Amino acid sequence: MFQKFYDLLIAGGAWLTILEGLWATVQISFFALVLGTLLGAEVCAMRRSKHKILKIPASIYIAVLRGSPVLMLLMLFYYVVFAKTDMDALVVAIITFGLNTAAYIAELMRSALDATDKGQVEAMRTLGFSGFAAFRYVTLPQAAEIAKPVYQSTIINLIQWTSVVGYVTITDLTRVINNISARTMQPLFMIIVGMIIYLGLSYLVTGIFALSDRIKKRKAGAKK
Amino acid sequence: MSLIEVKGLCKSFGNLEVLKDVSFTVDEGEVVVIIGGSGCGKSVTLRSIELLEKPDKGQIFINGREITAKGADIDSIRREMGMVYQSFNLFSHMNIEENMILAPTRLLKMPREEAVAKAKDLLKQVGLLDKLHAMPQNLSGGQKQRVAIARCLMMEPKIMLFDEPTSALDPTMVGEVLATMRMLAKKGMTMIIVTHEMNFAKEIGSRIMFLADKGVYEQGTPAEIFDNPRKEKTIAFIKKLKFISMHIESRDFDLMELHGNITTFGERYGLGSKAAYRLQLCAEELIYEMFKCAEDEIDTDLSIEYSESEKCIRLNIDAKGKEYNPFALSEDDEPMGVMIVKRTSQNYSHSYVSGTNKISVEI
Ligand SMILES: Nc1ncnc2c1ncn2[C@@H]1O[C@H](COP(=O)(O)OP(=O)(O)OP(=O)(O)O)[C@@H](O)[C@H]1O
Ligand SMILES: [Mg+2]
Repeated sequence: MFQKFYDLLIAGGAWLTILEGLWATVQISFFALVLGTLLGAEVCAMRRSKHKILKIPASIYIAVLRGSPVLMLLMLFYYVVFAKTDMDALVVAIITFGLNTAAYIAELMRSALDATDKGQVEAMRTLGFSGFAAFRYVTLPQAAEIAKPVYQSTIINLIQWTSVVGYVTITDLTRVINNISARTMQPLFMIIVGMIIYLGLSYLVTGIFALSDRIKKRKAGAKK
Repeated sequence: MSLIEVKGLCKSFGNLEVLKDVSFTVDEGEVVVIIGGSGCGKSVTLRSIELLEKPDKGQIFINGREITAKGADIDSIRREMGMVYQSFNLFSHMNIEENMILAPTRLLKMPREEAVAKAKDLLKQVGLLDKLHAMPQNLSGGQKQRVAIARCLMMEPKIMLFDEPTSALDPTMVGEVLATMRMLAKKGMTMIIVTHEMNFAKEIGSRIMFLADKGVYEQGTPAEIFDNPRKEKTIAFIKKLKFISMHIESRDFDLMELHGNITTFGERYGLGSKAAYRLQLCAEELIYEMFKCAEDEIDTDLSIEYSESEKCIRLNIDAKGKEYNPFALSEDDEPMGVMIVKRTSQNYSHSYVSGTNKISVEI
């Protein structure tokens, strides 16, 4: 077992290739998340607006992006939209996943905001706070707390969905694993290694959220 | 000058006209209690004063400033008022201290230490100093409402508005909130209170406003409204408050309805759940007991009223049929029900007049 581990991963320097693939996966996931969160907030704001000119495009955006496979979108962007530009495939992937994630994040933000207590906002207003201040001090922190678990699973889904970027020539973690297992004829072993790495990424995300919870609790405790 | 002046206020929701040309004023130091049937617009009136509902027409002046004016500084006018809601509305992600100091530190730029000291002082007045660092969800309903009141006081409002502050509370906790409001009244706070606690209204109100027909139907001192209402709807409303009556003509009468009515009746007079339960028990036992005297048809009238002067509740049952005095049986024959009634009531009597057994019990 150890021998196999050594032969396949260490001896030929395969672990370095795996690390490069992992780096691509992490880059795509991270930047797509940042883009998706910022854009998702915009779309959510539009979706919740009273004006139809903003509301309808946002609804269409959400419906289309959530309703079509992300791989289709990726192919559309890579082979059609950005085909003539010499944009890096990695950047295309980041844009694609960012746009896709934005639709999900817009919806999760909307349901979190809708779930907050309007009575507390009224209490803020009657104390003399502006509508913006009421949002900033009451609605937003409470909505963030509600959205947290869904946001966490959105991130984990995003990471896993990036495994399709191999279709557009990006050597991400999945592609690397695929290459090595083809070359060494050891698919079972390599797939298990790949799955463990993805699992590790999920745990990392979970861990970061758990840590932020704990820091928050400690802060609350410290005030006492 | 009046602290609150409402002029020609109109408000509809779609086709539903709730308020029509409502005008009234509230002077400094007055405690105005708004009463009226469900859905008559009490909350909408109160919320309009805070501009939580936008009037369709009319003007509202708070301490001389028009909150309904175009371009009015609504946030600053609202600082002169505090509003207490049925559902407390404490900020659930903040502890009590943070709930209390948020507005003064952010809006009045009060230094944190000063705000905390003030919060402690107010919490002490409402008896909750030990809850300074508790989270709202760990407080009982009555405690939450007292904190909500104290949180308003942090901004030193000139006016306090209360929308059914005790309606969401367990009966055992109503008293502590009412006591806090009494304390405010004693200090001369100008208040508008919407409540179903009629005894409290009578005691604390300097003026009672009865809403009906989309506006202020009748208003006056508590004595005028509760003891001598003049207009038709007020008279009917007040009578219903003081009186429950029920006609029974079958063995399977609606016992649940009777129990429900007694519960609401009890809440209105602050009887407490024990007394209300005793009343339910007596009524039920006596109704069943008096079925014994019925010949072929059951014809029983029940009425319950609260006597202000004697501070007791009188339960009357008129049952047609043979003469039957449930209280005159020998101890061995005495049914359980009658025993219970004898134990729980202060006075009981029976008389037989022209084919009707008249039972009267005081509790
Ligand atoms: N935001 C709203 N949209 C539509 N209708 C409303 C709204 N707010 C109140 N209403 C209606 O206006 C009427 C008056 O409501 P309001 O809440 O003032 O009654 P209320 O006197 O406070 O009654 P309750 O004793 O039940 O609290 C009701 O018929 C209610 O259904
Ligand atoms: Mg109401």
